[in-house]
Amino acid sequence: MNAKAEKIRVASIDPSYYQAVTDAIRTEAVKLLSEEAVVAVVGYLPGRRIGTAVPGLVTTPEQAQQLIFSPACVNNLSLYLTKAKKGVLKKGKVAIIAKGCDLRALAGLMGESQVKKEDIYTIGIACAGVFGANSDRKGGLTEASIARKCRECTVHQPEGVDLLVGTLPELPQLTALEAQELARLEALTPEERWAYWKEQFSKCIRCLACRQVCPFCYCEQCLCDKNRPQALESSPRPAGNTAWHIVRAMHLAGRCGGCAECERVCPMDIPLNLLNRRMAMELKELYDYEASMVPQEKGPLTRYQEDDDQSFIK
Amino acid sequence: MSLLITETNLRSLVDALVKGATLVVGPKHSGSVVLYQPLAAGSDLTLDELPRRSAKELYFPVCEDILTFKRENGKLEVRDIDRSRFPETVLIGAPPCDAGSPSILDAVFSWDYNDEFFLERRRKSTIVGIACTKGDDACFCTAVGLAPDAKAGSDLFLTPLLGGSFRCEPVTEKGQALIDKHAGLFSEGAAGEPVAFADQSTGKLDLPKIKEWLNGHFEDPLWESIADICVGCAACAFICPACHCFDINDEGNPDNGTRRKHWDACGFSKFTNHASGHNPRDIQNKRYRNRIMHKFKYYDDKFGKTLCTGCGRCIRACPVGIDIAEILDTINKKAQQG
Ligand code: SF4
Ligand code: SF4
Ligand code: SF4
Ligand code: SF4
Ligand code: SF4
Repeated sequence: MNAKAEKIRVASIDPSYYQAVTDAIRTEAVKLLSEEAVVAVVGYLPGRRIGTAVPGLVTTPEQAQQLIFSPACVNNLSLYLTKAKKGVLKKGKVAIIAKGCDLRALAGLMGESQVKKEDIYTIGIACAGVFGANSDRKGGLTEASIARKCRECTVHQPEGVDLLVGTLPELPQLTALEAQELARLEALTPEERWAYWKEQFSKCIRCLACRQVCPFCYCEQCLCDKNRPQALESSPRPAGNTAWHIVRAMHLAGRCGGCAECERVCPMDIPLNLLNRRMAMELKELYDYEASMVPQEKGPLTRYQEDDDQSFIK
Repeated sequence: MSLLITETNLRSLVDALVKGATLVVGPKHSGSVVLYQPLAAGSDLTLDELPRRSAKELYFPVCEDILTFKRENGKLEVRDIDRSRFPETVLIGAPPCDAGSPSILDAVFSWDYNDEFFLERRRKSTIVGIACTKGDDACFCTAVGLAPDAKAGSDLFLTPLLGGSFRCEPVTEKGQALIDKHAGLFSEGAAGEPVAFADQSTGKLDLPKIKEWLNGHFEDPLWESIADICVGCAACAFICPACHCFDINDEGNPDNGTRRKHWDACGFSKFTNHASGHNPRDIQNKRYRNRIMHKFKYYDDKFGKTLCTGCGRCIRACPVGIDIAEILDTINKKAQQG
């Protein structure tokens, strides 16, 4: 399919789809808050600028009337349920709006005993896709503006939620740009691949936005903050940057839900989700593990089994 | 009659400066982003996009060595960085929100301590600012007292004209010297119409009133309502032309290493963590409050200046869409009500 045809088909997602999702979210949120079934609804509110939305920690039925769903609702809100955000939400049951890719993070957090299923009420969205970082948002969701992760999404339709909102519109087949890029890197020689990542990591300014948005980076003491002595160099230079990204990739392996938030927020456009996906391939191959929308008993790297592959011990 | 330079000659000016061993820094494409980078030639200069990071890094780099140490025969030898080797520099193509920031930062870098790394680079640089025609809906320079054609901070100021030339106005002696030295590239003529600026949607802010409100509202429910969602990264501070916090770390090993200065930010939870474990800014909204307080109150208290040029970068980059222009507008309204 050529780019132009794709553009027309994606742009043709009926705006009434977003309106229907928005209405359903509002109705449910108002009900939950008026009946005091929850202390807060974590959802999306409109931003000041065209094509933007912001996370909202909504606590009154009046505010709940402002909740929205649009292609600008990019954030993975499960972050607000982690201990990194301790104290921000009142104690009690919380409702949360989740797209399929966010649900994988919620499920992972449950698997890690960070969130209890009975403490949350999930409103899952049948999701057509959201904007990519730095995309032109004036013309709605198009081939040019859709996030890379959404082009090859396998979780449009949420599972295991308390309430499902929205009916998926017909979705076009889009080329899997990220998978293509991953395959391109795989085909390189190790030296070429190393050169590629060295170049990418050299751009990092250590703003830690990638860490701060990640629902799984909830450690109270991150290795990269340790400075007496330093676990790895804190200064944004090639050595420390490379160490930082390898540490993060390893610490997220078998946990990452693939929401690609880390990549979206990187001000230097470092394609971090390529690392996540590469690690996910590794986990699939070694442990037949994949992140999913429903909690799994134990993550592959936190469980010991007699028949685990030990060939790497030399 | 005005002094004019064509786009071709502007690029030739870069070429001439580079040939003369001047470091020329300007907006340049680098992969998917535009950054302020050393230009190898005039053709590298891009004027069609606001750089992702600000021009402050010319004076205050993301990371720099401030000394090196080495133990030899049991004695630790400390070596300073030779700042006399910092090159003469021309910053070219900086819009008012970037050109205006170094002069705001002079105050803090020459206050209780003279930061010679910053100051030496400032002494050795000339800023060629350019009127901004690339603004978007995150920009609010006009609201904080600048404007798309504000000359504050520039030594030489360019205004893009319809047809592709630039009107040139020397603002300081440094700017005039640059013109005199390359007089052949400039010409006298009638300046045509300037390229139109993008409209800014935000209203003018009453900065003194905002400061007055901040004076009395260190505690206010506003902070929770606007900043509970803040994730505590440093994207906003690092790309900001006015934020200037840094950390210092010794890297290497006890016998051979380097002391480095690199960007830090008040948004990080560890920023105010005391050795005792106590953290006076124990929750994110208090950290965000500091961002507003420092920019619109403390810096003004101390140096009589506002620590924001309205470039809108933090608005574009915030992972959770925190919009400082909107927040200032809210405070402005509260301040008007008294
Ligand atoms: S990856 Fe799938 S579920 Fe997630 S935002 Fe994109 S389309 Fe929606
Ligand atoms: S968000 Fe990007 S620039 Fe910031 S620390 Fe992460 S990789 Fe580095
Ligand atoms: S590592 Fe990135 S993609 Fe994975 S869960 Fe964290 S933010 Fe999402
Ligand atoms: S606070 Fe934001 S708008 Fe103001 S100068 Fe800094 S980055 Fe620009
Ligand atoms: S706002 Fe924060 S990061 Fe920026 S200069 Fe002030 S204290 Fe530093």
